[in-house]
Amino acid sequence: MIKRIIYYSVLLLATIGLGSCKKFLDTNTDPSNPTTVSVQQLLPTAESSLAGSLGISGSSAIGVSGFGQVLGVYVHQLTTREDPDQYGAPGSDFYLNDSWNTIYGGTETQTNGGVTYYQDVLQNLQVIITNATAQGNLKYRGIAKILKAYTYSEMVDLFGNVPYSQALQLQQGITNPKFDSGSVIYPQLFLMIDSGITDLQNTTALNPITPGADDIIYGGNVLNWVRAANTIKLKMLTQERLITNVTADVNALLTADTLISATDQSFILHYGTLGSSDNRNPGYADYYNSQKTNYISPWFYSILKGYDPRLFTGIKDPRVPYYFYNQSGPSTVTSNKTEYRDSGFISILFGTIGPNSAFLQDANQTLLGIYPVGGKYDQGDALPVTASSGTGAAPYRFLTYADVLYLEAELMEAGVIAGNPRTELQAAMTESFNQVDFVVGLDAPSQTVPKIVGSGPDTVYINNIMNYYDANPSQQMEIIMTEKWISAFGDCVDQYTDYRRTKFPVLFNPNDPTVCPGGFYQPPVNGDPTTPGPQAAVPVQLTRNYPLTLPFGQDELNANQNAPPQKTDPSTYKVFWLP
Amino acid sequence: MKKLLTLLGAFLLLSSHSLFAQGIVSGKITDAKDGTPLSGISVKVKGSAIGTSTGGDGTFSLNVTENNVILEISGIGYLAKEVPASVGSDVAVSITKDVKALTEVVVTALGIKRAERGLGYSVSKVDPNILLQKSEPDVLKALEGKVAGVNIQQSQGTPGAATRITIRGDATFFGDAQPLIIVDGVPFSNDQITTTNQVSGGGAYSSGISDLDPNDIATLNILKGSAASALYGSRAANGVIIITTKSGSASRSRKGLEVTYSTSLAFEKVANLPDYQNQFGQGAYDVAGNGSNGSWGANFKNVDSIATYAAYAGYPGIGDSLPYQAYPNNVKDLFRTGHIYENSLNFSGGNEKTSFNSTVSYINHDGYVPNSNYDRANLSFGGYTKLDNGLNIRANFSYSKSNQLGSLFGEAQSNAPSSFARSLLLARSWNLEGLPSQDASGKPLSPLPTQFDNPFWADYHNTSATGETRTIVGIHLDYAIRKWLHADYQIGSNAMSLTRKEVIDIGSLAASGVGNITEENYTSEQIESNFILTFTPNIGNIFSFKLLGGQNVSQVKTTDLVNIGNDFITAGIYSLHNAASVTNNIDQFTLHRLIGLYADATLGFKNFAFIDLTARNDQSSTLSTSKNSYLYYGASGSLVFTDALKIKSDVLDFGKIRAGWAKVGADAQPYLTQNTFLLNPPILGQSSASNNVQSANADIGPEFTRETELGTQLSFFKRRISLDFTWYDKITDLLISPATTPASSGYIALIENLGKISNKGVEIDLGITPIRTKSFEWDIHGTFTHNENVVLSLTNGLTRLPLFGVLGGTNSINPYIEVGKPVGFLYGSKTVRDSLGNVLIDPQTGDMITSHTLGDIGDPNPKYKMGLDNTFVYKGFTLDILIDYTHGGQIYSESITNELGRGVTKDTQDRETSWIINGVYGDPTTEKPILTSGGQEIANTKRLATEDIYFFGGTGNEGTFATNAASEWNVYDATVWHLREVSLGYEIPKRFLGRLPIGSASLSVTGRNLWFFAPGVPKYTNFDPEQNSFGSTSTQGIELSSAPTTKRYGINLKVTF
Repeated sequence: MIKRIIYYSVLLLATIGLGSCKKFLDTNTDPSNPTTVSVQQLLPTAESSLAGSLGISGSSAIGVSGFGQVLGVYVHQLTTREDPDQYGAPGSDFYLNDSWNTIYGGTETQTNGGVTYYQDVLQNLQVIITNATAQGNLKYRGIAKILKAYTYSEMVDLFGNVPYSQALQLQQGITNPKFDSGSVIYPQLFLMIDSGITDLQNTTALNPITPGADDIIYGGNVLNWVRAANTIKLKMLTQERLITNVTADVNALLTADTLISATDQSFILHYGTLGSSDNRNPGYADYYNSQKTNYISPWFYSILKGYDPRLFTGIKDPRVPYYFYNQSGPSTVTSNKTEYRDSGFISILFGTIGPNSAFLQDANQTLLGIYPVGGKYDQGDALPVTASSGTGAAPYRFLTYADVLYLEAELMEAGVIAGNPRTELQAAMTESFNQVDFVVGLDAPSQTVPKIVGSGPDTVYINNIMNYYDANPSQQMEIIMTEKWISAFGDCVDQYTDYRRTKFPVLFNPNDPTVCPGGFYQPPVNGDPTTPGPQAAVPVQLTRNYPLTLPFGQDELNANQNAPPQKTDPSTYKVFWLP
Repeated sequence: MKKLLTLLGAFLLLSSHSLFAQGIVSGKITDAKDGTPLSGISVKVKGSAIGTSTGGDGTFSLNVTENNVILEISGIGYLAKEVPASVGSDVAVSITKDVKALTEVVVTALGIKRAERGLGYSVSKVDPNILLQKSEPDVLKALEGKVAGVNIQQSQGTPGAATRITIRGDATFFGDAQPLIIVDGVPFSNDQITTTNQVSGGGAYSSGISDLDPNDIATLNILKGSAASALYGSRAANGVIIITTKSGSASRSRKGLEVTYSTSLAFEKVANLPDYQNQFGQGAYDVAGNGSNGSWGANFKNVDSIATYAAYAGYPGIGDSLPYQAYPNNVKDLFRTGHIYENSLNFSGGNEKTSFNSTVSYINHDGYVPNSNYDRANLSFGGYTKLDNGLNIRANFSYSKSNQLGSLFGEAQSNAPSSFARSLLLARSWNLEGLPSQDASGKPLSPLPTQFDNPFWADYHNTSATGETRTIVGIHLDYAIRKWLHADYQIGSNAMSLTRKEVIDIGSLAASGVGNITEENYTSEQIESNFILTFTPNIGNIFSFKLLGGQNVSQVKTTDLVNIGNDFITAGIYSLHNAASVTNNIDQFTLHRLIGLYADATLGFKNFAFIDLTARNDQSSTLSTSKNSYLYYGASGSLVFTDALKIKSDVLDFGKIRAGWAKVGADAQPYLTQNTFLLNPPILGQSSASNNVQSANADIGPEFTRETELGTQLSFFKRRISLDFTWYDKITDLLISPATTPASSGYIALIENLGKISNKGVEIDLGITPIRTKSFEWDIHGTFTHNENVVLSLTNGLTRLPLFGVLGGTNSINPYIEVGKPVGFLYGSKTVRDSLGNVLIDPQTGDMITSHTLGDIGDPNPKYKMGLDNTFVYKGFTLDILIDYTHGGQIYSESITNELGRGVTKDTQDRETSWIINGVYGDPTTEKPILTSGGQEIANTKRLATEDIYFFGGTGNEGTFATNAASEWNVYDATVWHLREVSLGYEIPKRFLGRLPIGSASLSVTGRNLWFFAPGVPKYTNFDPEQNSFGSTSTQGIELSSAPTTKRYGINLKVTF
């Protein structure tokens, strides 16, 4: 130690003595973090951050918070005691606010195991575009442009007006980007997608590196990226159909025939099992967190079970054991009273003010199953879940082949394009069942999970729905949109858009006297086999109108001097594609 | 001829030697007031050149040539005294403080010793003895209430937990607001190394200063203002604490060997637990239930048994049902009696040219929470020698090794590993001690395993173990080149190394139940070098002048390595090897360098008027290259007006006024001038990185603090009353902080010189001696500290900035910065009110409506703090009683929230009735009152059960008063009285020691924190607002299920040989 001191004193004195203060003080370059990184390192972060921001994330999940956590409630696939209940999520809602930040500026988050991840979508894509341009890596640039356009389109769909033309330019001195109207942004996104396709198809570029496994969406498959790009355009055009005639543009896309046209061409983000780092589907968090966050919407459940007296009555959906996992069985006695029970299915209602809504049901409630989050296939064993009940490897589905078929069915049904919506709906439903088997395959479960396609009930169900379709001509659009809603379970962003455009599926409404007479909703009367007597009707309420957009991320408004004021009533703030 | 004379002289000397007796006179000099041994007191034989000065323990010994001599005893700040002594005698002399002179010497910046009368700024000199043998191993905690102008904040009640100290308020946003602590010339950081975010877990981490051995402290001086500390440059804006250790100040003229041994033993308990209700058990709405968190169940009179909790169903020896009865001590039984055992041995000795001092100490502290302990060993050695060529060399070395073990904490409601998740909230019918705490496979069992880890299990299985070593070495050379020119060179290093292992065991609620280990290895090494030339020309008796010029080089190097292992393969093996996956989370190196040049000129006039001018220029490695050299300066002056005006009065003995103004510059943390990418762990096996969320700024310049202080020091009635008053006004500008940017800019923050903070306040130090007789003295020492902190401005357009993320959502509470508010004010969720202040009630539910807009809900900064120390001395007995009082400040307490929300304390016992929340009906969507057709508001008439008042189980943006309420309702006034310290000491008279080889011996008993009273918190929660969850970090006023404070009883013995 003394030696070291002498060494340093000599060193310090010598340094100063020689007058080379400058060199002595020139030490402010961080040796532990790089000033430049490869586009290969930025792409997986951008892709996974995007899926995380859109999806369901549970609590204390893999460092991610997603809009799906709010929207799952808004599209009545989930219920919660938190603020999304009764459409009440404010701009400061953790998931909403944090997802906004992740999309634009980045967030620092920690996994359940304490590992720090940095998430960022648009700024990372921006750096990829800049660097790829400089390096001649046009394949990366093409992918980044398509992802960037898709991200902005989803932001417009969710919020209406968002920062665009002045966004992501802090280094150029713009600290307070203005908000642009969605109607101004959308046309530019089509151009951006086309430009991305051009980059991908460019054959003269140097492309010193090409995307491979670092592209965790398509593994570098350029053709699939082109398909995804065109499908995004199809979706955006469909969303604009209420305010403009999109027939020509849609037909052009259909004629070109480069849409997603097979299950494995779907635009999805893969998740993994718990490995050297935690890359599980964030929605799987309820399996390893003792305190659960997400309840399954009894409304969604009752439609799948054929309980709804108005729609699909008596038609039981065979996807139920793939969609939900019941931790309880028919005879399970719960420690606390339940609010909505149907044998082993236990949940709470949207808008509940019932006496049993707040009781803990962590070890008893029904959870998201193998299809939405890579949880457990419900073989009826009724066990409380653990971290190893499932794998958590279910992908996040941005746009699937089934979605393409439903979009086409909708366009046909709406008369935008020619074709038979009935055939298209049937094809879409068939593909939805394929998709379940496809996702289960990606999950790599340790249980033996039967294939649903060809099992029998799948065809029965499809036939039943087709019969229902034929018998109810006035409800055909509702049937298409409801089936799409069921198919897309777990990926809620586009469903929220679809509902606002088409008003379908019909959602749970506590103020509808035919659904909740006297403000009470009746769970299955004999749904609780462990308690004698009928199950009590649950008082429910709804004091807000349906939000036509989400409130802006509160952090953004707090910091941005050019931001508009917060939406006082999101039910009056519509996106440009609504008439 | 000369030779002859010399011979003659020698002869005379020899003959005197043969004619007169020769021998040794020894003795000990103590302070007349409190009996503390005084060092550095000059002892001379009257009429001769023979003399020495006392050592650290107050003793001296002299070779005298006569049998009977008169000793002249004098020391700075004490009245001179003459006492007779004879050869072979051992005299005990007590001397009295010179009430008139007030010429106390204090250590000022760079270790320069100056007479207090010449200072234009406030310096507090702390007697290190007040820190010793008080059953408190932490130096800072022992200072509480004893020094004006110092704000000390404790954290958790477990051993080794951090202590925060601030002087004259927070003068930074994101940096460390704590003062610069200089130990033997080298900075000593009181930073807390936070391995795991203390919101969601983490231990009760210690802070750096806990490594310091109180037994080795020779002097402790606190420079509060910028004028005093400007010479230190960066960070001195927060004040400076200058500590010299005994080993670092071994001084000349020591003779012989002196050994001091001190030992103490203390027992500790939880200071206070809530008063629990024991009428109602687990359940809800008056119905017993075995799945509830709360004690809102049936009256014990009405129900005898309850179905066995699911986790214990079918467990051997446990039947189908369990008794439904109160277990009044179930919380108390989670804890034990802790103890502190401390031993310290000090050696000092030397001769005229050389001396040494060495201290060896060991302390062992077992907390009241099982498996919590802290132990620390200190070894220090210092030596001094004067070479024949006149060069003085001083060198010191100290080494400390500490180990801290304890369980984990954090916000208790969501999958936390906290051992305190439910500890203070146990349902009144849970017999936790009577039930197994783990199953056959070692996983925790409890009545509600999905809600908390059984504390008996968590204490041992969710743990944080830290080992810390610190080595301080230093060399100080000084040499008088000429009589008027003195050169000093000092270089030292303070090297700290910390290793920490945090474990969450298999089966815990946290870490997915698969087990998790986090290992951190942190090192920091500070090197500080100062070269000083002091020029003191003789300019006659009227004026005095001193000019000092110096150069300072400092370097701070840190390394940090954090690896996280997840999923234990074999149970019970806590190593990264045994984890299924290991991720490197942090691997960071930082280097910070600074070169400063400074000058200080002091001009004195007739020893009653003084002017001091300082200037310093720094060059820092961390700032923009165009702004990294910056100059700052200051001036201060003092006038002893009683001398100047020749006031001779028995009423006013002494009067001094002082004034100072100074500017201090500070630099940034390393690496804020260049953007880097952040490296992520692999994503699906792909190496990944992300754009930084925070943008660097190549244009960062220094921060500046400007401070004005005015003060006076007065003494009345022969120093029966003394008063020291200071007023200051401190403005810190161009604060380097990350400015929040809208995410849409691509970053969430941009480093900028962005804000301005004002701190204004007063410090009063009052001494009164109501009674002073020959055998009895009563002294009162009062301190008063008031600081008002307010943010004056933020960078263009920024309204507020989050300081740290604690809790979001409807229970949102986070420390923020906003113009017009104090730094770190609590910003969180509030209930909606109408224009008259009535709360709005949802007419459907009778609950209050929580606003979507957050607001100011509290200020953690106390309005003022007071300490009142009464000392009674009678013969050998000293009784000391210290009370301190904190007025105002607020605390968000999750402990209180949950104690109320879970219905466990007597506060919630009154349940036989229902309640109406006073308010008017409102619309939860519009957040406006609902009006009648006549435009009138409608008063709420909806009745709620007691349970609903404290526990809101509904949905949406509503709430009542405790659990799930708007956070404003869980913020309480932190006003608190503490009976901080009571000690009774006894100096054992020599005659009792007989022929034992003991120089002196003293015995004392102490009690610490024996009682407290916090009028602002719910009565039966007995919550001590001093608790805090975030240690010495800048997040204050937020408590998340932390360990309560402690009270201690100790016995102490000190002997010198």
